[in-house]
Amino acid sequence: MATEKPLEAVLVVVGVLIAGDLVTALLITGSLQFADVGGLVKNGLMRGLVIGLAGVGLSMTYSILNFANFSHGDYITLGAFTGWGVTYLLAGLGEADWTNLILVGAGGGVFGAQLGISITGTTLAVILGLVVAAVATAAAALAVDRAIYKSMRDAGGIPLLITSVGVAFALRYVIALVFGESVRGTTSPDIPSFALPAIDGTVGINAHDLVVLVTGVALMLGVHLLLQRTKLGKAMRAMADNEDLARITGIPTERVVTWTWVLGGGLTGVAGYLLVLWRETLHFRIGWVLLLLVFAAVILGGIGSIYGAIFGGVIIGLTLSLSQIWIPTDFARASAFVIMIVILLVRPQGLFAGRATA
Amino acid sequence: MNLLGISDLDAGYGDLQILEDVDMTVDEGEYVAIVGPNGAGKSTVMRTVFGIATYMDGTVIFAGEDISALAPERVIHKGLGYVPQDDNVFSSLSVRENLEMGAYILDEVPESALREVFDRFPILEERDDQRAGTLSGGQQQMLAMGRALMLDPDLLLLDEPSAGLAPDLVDEMFEKIDEINESGTAILMVEQNAKEALRRCDRGYVLVQGQNRYEGPGKELLDDEQIRQDFLGG
Repeated sequence: MATEKPLEAVLVVVGVLIAGDLVTALLITGSLQFADVGGLVKNGLMRGLVIGLAGVGLSMTYSILNFANFSHGDYITLGAFTGWGVTYLLAGLGEADWTNLILVGAGGGVFGAQLGISITGTTLAVILGLVVAAVATAAAALAVDRAIYKSMRDAGGIPLLITSVGVAFALRYVIALVFGESVRGTTSPDIPSFALPAIDGTVGINAHDLVVLVTGVALMLGVHLLLQRTKLGKAMRAMADNEDLARITGIPTERVVTWTWVLGGGLTGVAGYLLVLWRETLHFRIGWVLLLLVFAAVILGGIGSIYGAIFGGVIIGLTLSLSQIWIPTDFARASAFVIMIVILLVRPQGLFAGRATA
Repeated sequence: MNLLGISDLDAGYGDLQILEDVDMTVDEGEYVAIVGPNGAGKSTVMRTVFGIATYMDGTVIFAGEDISALAPERVIHKGLGYVPQDDNVFSSLSVRENLEMGAYILDEVPESALREVFDRFPILEERDDQRAGTLSGGQQQMLAMGRALMLDPDLLLLDEPSAGLAPDLVDEMFEKIDEINESGTAILMVEQNAKEALRRCDRGYVLVQGQNRYEGPGKELLDDEQIRQDFLGG
């Protein structure tokens, strides 16, 4: 058996070794605490949800337009800045100059920590920020499509991809120009949290972790219901399957494309906002830095599959986190790509390819 | 008056012209077959009527209305249904969802039409939850026809409905098409299986190198010595 599938055999051995090492460290030598592993799992899950949410948007435009959109990362950044601008404005209105606020404290005018921003302290500011992140990013994604991508859609995937790299740079530096290049902290230092018992210690979970979890899961569930139950969702799946047939059937494909950008852009904007809420800092490269991980998640899940993007995101997030048990943090990103390569070696089409695409 | 009237049609793909001065008519309730050698442009006729190929010149009139350069998603509104030869189902959608897509332009899926399709193709009802991509070739062909029948079209365009089917299924397929025609739907069919198609149809066209070569009642074409030798393999 081992000779028939040498790759699988090696992977199983590696998996057993890793699991064995984990068990030894946790139970026998005690060099690793359950609470620490729990903390890493939590962090991995949070980051995975954000990557998955952004991945759903990327996967949607890929499957319906056959377009690997490299400007997607900067849509994440755009969502973060527009959303947080509104959050700052609402949280700090009357305390600081409104232009400083809406520019998310560009030039060091105001600081998120002073404004005391948190889901419990400034609930409305955070919720409205989230909504604005979705709306602004959807509008921007649609505007970019109308202005640039639409006219060249028939030229094929490669010209679109290359153009999107240009759009990514343009968007990124427009954001830097407007909002500044500085890294800033965004949230209040004291966010309500509780300790989840974990055998030999506790795992701290704060209110913002819960916001990421609830929003992420709710939106993914929403996308699932949309795709499976609504006429628009079915039309999107139909168009992803076979565009010519969709047109013959009378599906207004241009309207479906519009909705694809709106939904994909909206989810991506929310992902950007949540990313900042979770990591508590913001700068103009956050989306670009995340983009390769989002691509990795989408590809290992099976590009074009919504469910693949979600699972891929969680797998990538957990890998990033848990690999830190064995390797230095700086190499964590590499481990995420190793996992992607390994999964593609075993299943070249990705985990969910050909299933329930949209 | 003809239901479908194609006259002096030039069409192709991009700059490549395939059809030259093609004339064709289909009357209400008529069953018309297009036969001819490979590459003659048979499928291109249908693809042009549905706006997928590049229309160049000439006219396509349906029910008195010029639909020559209409976008594909508009053609279905006029009362035409089309079953392409390949990739004619949405493979990741379920059987029922495929049929629902057939009635996409209506606000609600008409239960009576769904019932009729299920009665015509009982296998589709048995498998209504199954993903279309997992159906056999014959079942996919039935699903594609069922989808096209959801709007009860006046004219159904069928592109090689027997292609790739097992021999015992070919007969069944042709019988289903006869039934559909007998219930009042006009048929325009492209067929590689020329003898069978000409035997069953009211009228046939022989298309060669993008041009009309012969035209007449199916049986006459079938009996014509010249046509038999040139196009039907003796």
